[in-house]
Amino acid sequence: MSGPAIEVAALCKAFRLPHQKQTTIKEHFLHPFRRVTYETQRALDDVSFSVSPGEFFGIIGPNGSGKSTLLKILAGIYQPDRGTVQVDGLLSPFIELGVGFNFELNARDNVLINGTLLGLSRRDLDERFDDIIGFAELERFVDQRLKNYSSGMLLRLAYSIAIQVEFDILLLDEVLAVGDQSFQMKCFETFDALRAASKTVVFVSHDLASVSRFCDRVVLLQHGRIAGYGPTSEVLDLYLGGIEGAPIPAEPVR
Amino acid sequence: MATPAPAESGAHRALWRRFRHNLRILHVLAAMDFKLKYAGSALGYVWSVVKPLALFTMLYLVFGRIFDLRTISAYYPLSLLIGIVLFTFFAEATSLGMASVVERAELIRKLSFPRLVIPTSRTVGVAITFAVNVSVIAAFIAWNEIRPNWNWLLLAPLFVELFLFTLGVTLILATLFVRLRDVGQIWELFSQLLFYATPIIYPIGFLPPWARNIAFLSPFTQVLQDVRAIVLYQDLPENRITAADVFEGYGGRLIPIGIAAVVFVVGVVVFRRAAPSFAERV
Repeated sequence: MSGPAIEVAALCKAFRLPHQKQTTIKEHFLHPFRRVTYETQRALDDVSFSVSPGEFFGIIGPNGSGKSTLLKILAGIYQPDRGTVQVDGLLSPFIELGVGFNFELNARDNVLINGTLLGLSRRDLDERFDDIIGFAELERFVDQRLKNYSSGMLLRLAYSIAIQVEFDILLLDEVLAVGDQSFQMKCFETFDALRAASKTVVFVSHDLASVSRFCDRVVLLQHGRIAGYGPTSEVLDLYLGGIEGAPIPAEPVR
Repeated sequence: MATPAPAESGAHRALWRRFRHNLRILHVLAAMDFKLKYAGSALGYVWSVVKPLALFTMLYLVFGRIFDLRTISAYYPLSLLIGIVLFTFFAEATSLGMASVVERAELIRKLSFPRLVIPTSRTVGVAITFAVNVSVIAAFIAWNEIRPNWNWLLLAPLFVELFLFTLGVTLILATLFVRLRDVGQIWELFSQLLFYATPIIYPIGFLPPWARNIAFLSPFTQVLQDVRAIVLYQDLPENRITAADVFEGYGGRLIPIGIAAVVFVVGVVVFRRAAPSFAERV
């Protein structure tokens, strides 16, 4: 184990956004000669960086700077147009909590769905079911459908499943944005545990306080380009000092 | 750096691990599909049996009684039921599978796993319903006092062929559906057309020879007639015409089987080629 956990080289990604979405034949027939016009949006432009094993790595930047796109490429959800991503280690398969939750089903089924999607086996889930529910403090609501859960309950359930997953590298997109104070405290405890276990974490957040508290190094994105890359305090100074006044572009597609 | 040999076995293990993970996703998605289909309904799974039976009763009353098709053969009701159950599988699997990728947009945008799992799990889910319906056919078979024989083992590969053909069609449709939602409307009409173009409510013998040649190009017709010929071996010979009869010899059966195989392979290739961009399109 000597190489970087994640190595990103000259990554480019552009989205072609049609000006008007044409998805039915009728629209094609109604305007047969009108060419669909596209706007090319460069979500990522020549992005290179590397993350060392055991590092807590932050990705920051204003809305629409390409953070989520970058994370989705790291996770293998989007394909890059150019450039390469190399990952050494078991990547957590999720970037958001509660993927695949179905609101018509109860907690038991949803633990099975979400846990399976995240890579847990049926046996793991059976063994750990009580722990998951206990940690989420949802014992009384196990047989309730998820549509009757509050958003806090949903988040607790999603979180307790996610921490059961095995990985070397964890990708997290704005997990702190939705939780309340006590949930954040739980997250922080987990982050400390992850650091202690020297797991690699790539962390997208707008919450600069937690970025500066946990991240060893940070990459700052601006209009899809790297505007800063290095130790957290330096890049944060750069971000807060230089870029805050710059115009903020529209949020790109998901 | 480890020596090459352990590294290789590590890669194998990772591959195996990923494969099992994908199988588990497939299983849980199919099981939940099946569960959700009847969520909130009082009769639940019973509906998956009641629906084809109701369709059967309706068609039997109209075509069997009023148009008197039942006088052709004592096996007409069972023949009709087999046709309805097989077609229900095909129609339901293709129409539900077509929309599956778009319906699972949330998963596709947030999770990296082979997209093939999504339509496949849908098809498996519908196949579970099909298996339940086969038990109804079995009850009819017992009622008609038809004795099973060793030939019935051939039903298994025929069902596999039907499954793979259906999956191939589904994959093509699902790929198109991501780009063009009209495919949903077109396919709905087309599968109705297919229902009447296929000898389901009328015996194959009703078709003139040239039309039989066309009908047996469809792997569905081939599977249907093979299943009927195997189960209803006491039926009239003209009701047991198979692709082998029409295309002369057992080699002739390879024509629709070949078409099924091509459709499956094309489906997988087309789908896999389009899959990397699904996250941006759905």
